Amino acid sequence: MLQFKLVLLGDSSVGKSSIVHRFVKDTFDELRESTIGAAFLSQSITIHPNDGGEVKDVIIKFEIWDTAGQERYKSLAPMYYRNANAALVVYDITQEDSLQKARNWVDELKNKVGDDDLVIYLLGNKVDLCQESASTEPSPESNKGEDDEQKVRVISTEEAKQYAQEQGLLFREVSAKTGEGVKEIFQDIGEKLYDSKKDEILSKQNRQINGSNNGQVDIHLQRPSTNDPTSCCS
Amino acid sequence: MNLNENYLDTGVPKSQLKHSRSGNLECIPIVASTSEPTTSVNLDETFFKKAPLAVPISDNRSISKSASINSLNTTYLASRGSPLQAKKSQTKTGVLSTDLATSNNDIMQASIIPKKHSDLYADWGNDIRSRLAESIYSMETSVRGSEIKRRPYVSNEIPNVFKFSKLNINSEPSGNQVSCDKNFLIFTSAGKPIYSMHGKDEQIMSYTGLVNTVISYFQVNGPSELKTISTLTSGKRLTFLDKSPILLMAQSERGESSNELLNQLDFLYSYILSSLSERQLLRLFSKRENFDLRNYLETTDFENLNEICSLICNRMFPDLLLNSLQCLPFRHSSRLKLQNVILQQLEKRQDIPRGTLLYGLIIAPQNRLCCVLRPRGHTLHTTDLHLLFCLISHQFQNLDETQELWVPICFPKFNSSGFLYCYIKFLPNDTQSNEKSALVLISAEKDAFFSLKSFSDELIIKLENEGLLKKINASKGFKLSDIPAPMVHHFIYKSKQNVQYVMPHFEVNSKISLESSQRLEYELKLKTYYQQLHSTVVRDNGNILSRSILNFVKWSSKDSKDQTVDETRLNFSELDEYIIGNSSFEQESVNMLGMAWVTPKFELYLIGNNGVVDKKVLFKSARKVATWCQKHESRLFISDGAVF
Repeated sequence: MLQFKLVLLGDSSVGKSSIVHRFVKDTFDELRESTIGAAFLSQSITIHPNDGGEVKDVIIKFEIWDTAGQERYKSLAPMYYRNANAALVVYDITQEDSLQKARNWVDELKNKVGDDDLVIYLLGNKVDLCQESASTEPSPESNKGEDDEQKVRVISTEEAKQYAQEQGLLFREVSAKTGEGVKEIFQDIGEKLYDSKKDEILSKQNRQINGSNNGQVDIHLQRPSTNDPTSCCS
Repeated sequence: MNLNENYLDTGVPKSQLKHSRSGNLECIPIVASTSEPTTSVNLDETFFKKAPLAVPISDNRSISKSASINSLNTTYLASRGSPLQAKKSQTKTGVLSTDLATSNNDIMQASIIPKKHSDLYADWGNDIRSRLAESIYSMETSVRGSEIKRRPYVSNEIPNVFKFSKLNINSEPSGNQVSCDKNFLIFTSAGKPIYSMHGKDEQIMSYTGLVNTVISYFQVNGPSELKTISTLTSGKRLTFLDKSPILLMAQSERGESSNELLNQLDFLYSYILSSLSERQLLRLFSKRENFDLRNYLETTDFENLNEICSLICNRMFPDLLLNSLQCLPFRHSSRLKLQNVILQQLEKRQDIPRGTLLYGLIIAPQNRLCCVLRPRGHTLHTTDLHLLFCLISHQFQNLDETQELWVPICFPKFNSSGFLYCYIKFLPNDTQSNEKSALVLISAEKDAFFSLKSFSDELIIKLENEGLLKKINASKGFKLSDIPAPMVHHFIYKSKQNVQYVMPHFEVNSKISLESSQRLEYELKLKTYYQQLHSTVVRDNGNILSRSILNFVKWSSKDSKDQTVDETRLNFSELDEYIIGNSSFEQESVNMLGMAWVTPKFELYLIGNNGVVDKKVLFKSARKVATWCQKHESRLFISDGAVF
């Protein structure tokens, strides 16, 4: 089993917690309370990497930090992304400034983490709102945002996609409400992280297998918690 | 002053304004009331002498109006005309110069009205009925809720003598400020609104401006700060708490004392601090005095404030009133075992340094404290714990045991300028109920999450192995029928030493869901009974009157006949008798007796069943309750907790 740390970042009420809950429990709560502080959850997936023609199952356990988007908790964010292997930066496709906030997060991650191995995934959430508004009938769900009933897409797929390409980010548009694309995010991240850490993992595995029993092995992949390269993984 | 129309009563007759006889006074009703014709309040001369700038509050029930209502459909004359308050302030005038006493005239008027009308029809069957009721209740075998099926034929509901609880039962925080009998406002010293329980922004704006003017007048001219403005006839009270740069105001018609309202305001202020910390708050306002704090607070803050306000106003929440915590009854041996397991776990984890784990708490559903882990010589303040409990029961109620939270909270009474970090995890519960207990570990370090997480993981496994988790989930508290004390409807027993209280489960409406309006009405009713009981034993400053007190309070629909009977006092008691309400044919006659009993060790507030009028009988039961609570003290209260 491989273990990866993952952090969700983004403006408040873009749907970070909803994405996590879609992934962890496959549920959606229309009236979710805002996150205070941060919530820690975990979930495992199986990926099927293709190593030289041989397909095998690899279980990946994600430890997820679902952070609060509120400005007030911003100063705590480094604590959550410091050790992360992957960061999901979420914006709301119906909120103009949420993409700008997402850009800020990407910048911060690139500046503060400074690790090329960190997988950053840009996510446009709430695509369900726009699919419904495209249809002729106004759907009952659209009164979710009570003040403005009709939500329209304000951030085009192309715009975000282009930005993601420039910055070398993974990109996907999803809906936590319908579940569209949510599983794929984690599958993508799992595969990407497996790819980048493959050599490290295999050598570790071999060492452990040769060293002791060849039973199940847990491999924890963490980057050092400080910038000091000599510090040990906990 | 430019007032919003909403606050101007259009129907105020000019003649009513005569009372503002000082030439420089403007008489402006600032609180809109119900749709009923309104009149302005008669403020007596002392008011104007004491408070040069008076703000009369319009009253929705002029004397003559309420009389006519009474003769027709007989709503109970609300108690908040508060003969009790009046009587108290009569004896204590001059204690608080800014606390404006009601006049003697008022008491006369208030007590005459019920008499006049109850003469018409009230008394005809009361005597027989109450005697019958009492004979049934008196039988030892008919203890309420006992296994024996011989339940009394008389309803064991207690009547509602408080008008507002019917009026206003569904008063969820709303945009409608008109027709609320209780409201909270928070605004900045510059007059910008921050929060209001009821009332839209446009309504509040002008209101805060006016209130601000009044307050600053007192700041500039008065020798002391303005605490309360009370009106004479309606019992309306405006209480202010000045925590510059923030001002808080409570408006109430429910007959609470200024001190109670101040406590409630302080709790709201504490919430704001818990979210921002005092340092942050002062920093925000140091740059610009007219900073708009609303932009800085988050939706969660407003939701939490709403929740706290409705808890204070509508729910049975004696925690604030008694300034103590509710405790989960738990077998003494199990509690010791629980504490030992936690201490052992702490012992085992020597790698966790002292500052990393400051406090540990296990909180059972409905905000009942189950276990405390604390360093020797340190305890957490009840206000801080109340805030934490409110957050857990409201904000995190949808969460389950799969997630762990890491939440920065400022505990204002612990340290108002810094944050502590709370690790919160709900404990697995395999029983039917979806209510979950929570484990809270409090740290001073913001990156201690993983140390605390591993501590918690190990601890929970241990608790499960020892069967303690099951016991926590199974603990249901106690019922009134567990105690051999007949004729008691409900009680609250507070252990002074432990700063904790217990009360039996609500049995009467147990089938009604927690959120139904009936349940709310019941809680509000009970809450008000207790609030009135409590107010008979405290001074204006909130301190208990003396070391030992025994007060009986009677809520009755009968008239003067009873008064004479009640003159016979128990020789060691100080008796507060008064008559409230007015009965009708349809409604059960009101004949309630409650008592407040304070000793150096405990406080007991007890409400008898309707129809029980014999003080000696009730006191006998109270003694049994007190004895029972003392006997089971180690089960009912946490005396020390796990101390390290």
